[in-house]
Amino acid sequence: MKNIRLLAALLIGFIGFAQENSNENTLNLGNKISEGVSIGGYAQIDYNEPDGAAPGKLDVHRLVMFLGYKFNEKVSFMSEIEYEHVSEVYIEQAYLKYKANENFNVLAGLMLVPMGIINEFHEPTTFYGVERPNVDNYIVPTTWREIGVGFSGKIDNASLKYQAYLFNGFKSYAAGAGILRGTDGLRKGRQKGAESVINSPNLSAKLDYYGITGLRLGLAGYFGKTQTDNSSIEASTVGISMIGLDARYKFNNLELRGQYIHTNLTDTEDYNLLTGKDLGSKMYGLYGEVAYSFDLKGVEKLTPFLRYEKHNTHAETAGILVANDAFDRDEIIFGLNYKVANGAAFKIDYQLMNNAVAGSDTAKVFNAGVAVSF
Amino acid sequence: MKKIALLTIIVLLISSFTTSKRTEALIEKEVKSVFNIVKYSKQPISVSKEVNETLPIKIDDTNFFKIKSEEKIQGYYYLGQAFGKADYFDFIVIFDKDLIVSKVKILVYREDHGSEVGSKRWLNQFNGKKTTENLTYQKDIAAISGATISAKSMTNEVNKLLKTVTILYNKKQL
Repeated sequence: MKNIRLLAALLIGFIGFAQENSNENTLNLGNKISEGVSIGGYAQIDYNEPDGAAPGKLDVHRLVMFLGYKFNEKVSFMSEIEYEHVSEVYIEQAYLKYKANENFNVLAGLMLVPMGIINEFHEPTTFYGVERPNVDNYIVPTTWREIGVGFSGKIDNASLKYQAYLFNGFKSYAAGAGILRGTDGLRKGRQKGAESVINSPNLSAKLDYYGITGLRLGLAGYFGKTQTDNSSIEASTVGISMIGLDARYKFNNLELRGQYIHTNLTDTEDYNLLTGKDLGSKMYGLYGEVAYSFDLKGVEKLTPFLRYEKHNTHAETAGILVANDAFDRDEIIFGLNYKVANGAAFKIDYQLMNNAVAGSDTAKVFNAGVAVSF
Repeated sequence: MKKIALLTIIVLLISSFTTSKRTEALIEKEVKSVFNIVKYSKQPISVSKEVNETLPIKIDDTNFFKIKSEEKIQGYYYLGQAFGKADYFDFIVIFDKDLIVSKVKILVYREDHGSEVGSKRWLNQFNGKKTTENLTYQKDIAAISGATISAKSMTNEVNKLLKTVTILYNKKQL
C-alpha cells in the first residue's frame, strides 16, 4: 500500500513538470449553449487507505451529469443525475426556475438545502481534500436535498444574495421503526425526493453577504419537524432548528474558510424511548481551513492546505441517554491540491481522526483522488 | 401543502408583470448618473473593416457608443456579454471622455450560479482603470468565493475591452 502512496506522489510531481503551457485566454464555450440544452457534470474518484491492516478502497465516489434546459429568458429547468459508488443512482437536483425579474426567482422541485458551504458548492474542484469535510457529513448531511418550493434572488447594491424555501423534512419514523441515530444525527433521515412522505413542511433560508473585498459570509437557518409515516404516534417525530455560519476569504494566493453549524433537536427523549434509538438533543460542528496557492505554468496551481474539524452529534442528550464520547470527534487533515486545468485537479491528503473516548487511538487515513467539474 | 402551492402560483402571476424594456432604461439611468446630465444623445462608433479585424472584441453599431450632451463628448459606453458557468450575462462599461472606466454594471444575469458578480462593490473595482492596464483576477481584481467562473470571465472581458479601446484610440477611430 505504501507503494501506491509513493506512486500517487510521484505521479503528481511528474505531471507538474511535464505539462506544457496551455492557452488560458480562450474561454472555451464547448457544448454549453445560451439557449436550449446545457450539459455539464462533475466526478470524484477516490482512493482511501486506512493505517494498519485494513485494505485500501478505490471508488468512483460520485459521477454526476448536469442537464439543463432553458425554455425562454424566464423559465429554465435544472437537473443533476448522480451515480454514487458506481451502482447507486440518485437525482441530486431537479427544479423549475421562474425568473420573475432580475432580482427575484421562484423555484420548485428537488433542490439543495442552503446550509454551510459544501451542500450548495459540492463540486469536488471547489473544496480542498479528497473527501468533503466531515462536518458536512455528520452535521450537515450533504448532499442534502429535498422537494420544496421557494424563492431566491440578489440585491446588487447591498452585495446580498437571499434564498428561502419550504422543504420536505427528514423522515424519522417508518414501518414501525426509528430512523435517526446518534452516530450521524439526521443523515439517515434524508428523503432525497424519492417517494418522500410529508406531514409538515420545514423552513430553510440563507443570506450571503459579499460586500467586503475578498470576503463572503453566510448565515443559514433551518427550522421545522421531522416526518413520519404514522402521524398518530406523536413521539415518532422530533423538532429541528439548525443555524449555520460560514465564511470564505481570498486575498491574492491565500484562502481561508470556516463554518460553524449548531443544531437543536426537541422531543428526542420520547423519540428514543419509542424507537430505542440514541439520537442526541444538541449537535454542532465547526472547521477552519487555510490554503495557499503557488502559481505554476498557465492556470496550474499547487495548493497545500490544512484543516481542523470538530463535531459532536451528542453534544447534549435528553433523559436517560448518556452522551457517547465516540460521537465527539475532531480531526486534522492536510494535503495538496494540484489544479491542472480550470475544473480538473489531482489531490492527496492525510487525515488524523480522534474521538473523546479515553485511551482511543488516532485513526489515520491517506487519501488520493481525481476531481473534475465541467 | 395546498395553501403553499396556491400561494406560489399567485406570487408567479403578480411578479410576471414586472419586467420590460429594463435594459434600455437601466443604461439611460447609469449614463445620466455617471455624467450628471439629464439629456444626452448616443452615436454608434463606426469602425473600418480592416481595423475591426484586429480587435479582440468586434465593434458594430449596436455595442459601442459615443455619449454626447450639449454638443460635447461626455464619454463612451460598451454593451457586452460574458459567459458564466452555463449561460451568458449582459453588462455595460462606461468610459469618461479620457477613456477611463467610470462604471461597470451587470444588466442581465441569467443563471443561478455566480450571480454575485453583479455586486456593486465588486464591480466598483474596475472604476478608474485605464485602457493601458491589464487586470489579473485575484490580484488587481479581488476574488468572489462561489462565483469564480463569472468573476474571472468578467475580468477577462474587461481586459479585452480595454485592449480594443486602446487600438481604436491609436487608430483614431473614436
